[in-house]
Amino acid sequence: MNKRGEEKILAIYWFVILTLVAGGIFTMTILFYNHPYDVREVESQILINNIADCLSRGGELNPELFEGEEFSEEFKTNFLQTCNLYFEAEGGEAEEYYSEITIYNASRLDLPVYEINAGNKNLVASCNIQEEKKYKREARCMEENLFSVKGGKLYLIKIMSAIGKAKENVK
Amino acid sequence: MSNRRLKNNKAQVSDIMTWVVATIIIILILVVFIYASSLLAQKTKIIKIKEMKLEIPGEEINWLNSKTSFAYLRSSEEQRQIIDKWKEENKNE
Repeated sequence: MNKRGEEKILAIYWFVILTLVAGGIFTMTILFYNHPYDVREVESQILINNIADCLSRGGELNPELFEGEEFSEEFKTNFLQTCNLYFEAEGGEAEEYYSEITIYNASRLDLPVYEINAGNKNLVASCNIQEEKKYKREARCMEENLFSVKGGKLYLIKIMSAIGKAKENVK
Repeated sequence: MSNRRLKNNKAQVSDIMTWVVATIIIILILVVFIYASSLLAQKTKIIKIKEMKLEIPGEEINWLNSKTSFAYLRSSEEQRQIIDKWKEENKNE
């Protein structure tokens, strides 16, 4: 083979290699940046924080929770509006949020005195299996507790939240 | 004359083999990197709440703990003991 022919073949070879490497880098970038960030745990915590803020301010239970000495049924009914929460999904799809609040009198932690739940209750089923990797498309759940006082009584508030939104957070 | 041609052919085969091996190595490295980037995307793109909490050695500060602290300050001695006991019991959760 003469020198000029060799150079031509080598030039084509280099061009092919260059294309391969560029294609590889392109694929890597696409693969990495196409994968969505899974922020459901953070979203769940933010939801819990907002609910906690609505229920307890400065260590005292929200007065709207009470009707006289008793817990208010109206607050339960209007919970989402009162706490400025919006759980409804766009386009008539199933709700992607669920939250459950249980309030206990601190002197008796086995018997809840007040319960509120809102959102899509079907999401709760995924809470127990969320640790398994193959179920990463299931809802993310989180539970937090806080204490609050009212009228000389101490209450324990348990707030559980579950976030679906697999489409936006998992690929 | 024929000996010279044979030597020339051997040199060409050796040259081609070098480039073939080099190409295979380049492709292998690319495949490994592509696989690693897809794994990295799956592992690192899960934002954990632990990464968002402000941590001071020995204690953890968060929104809900601060609310409980306010309640603690407004509680009676007996109620404070309940909170302390509950915190102790749920320390590892």
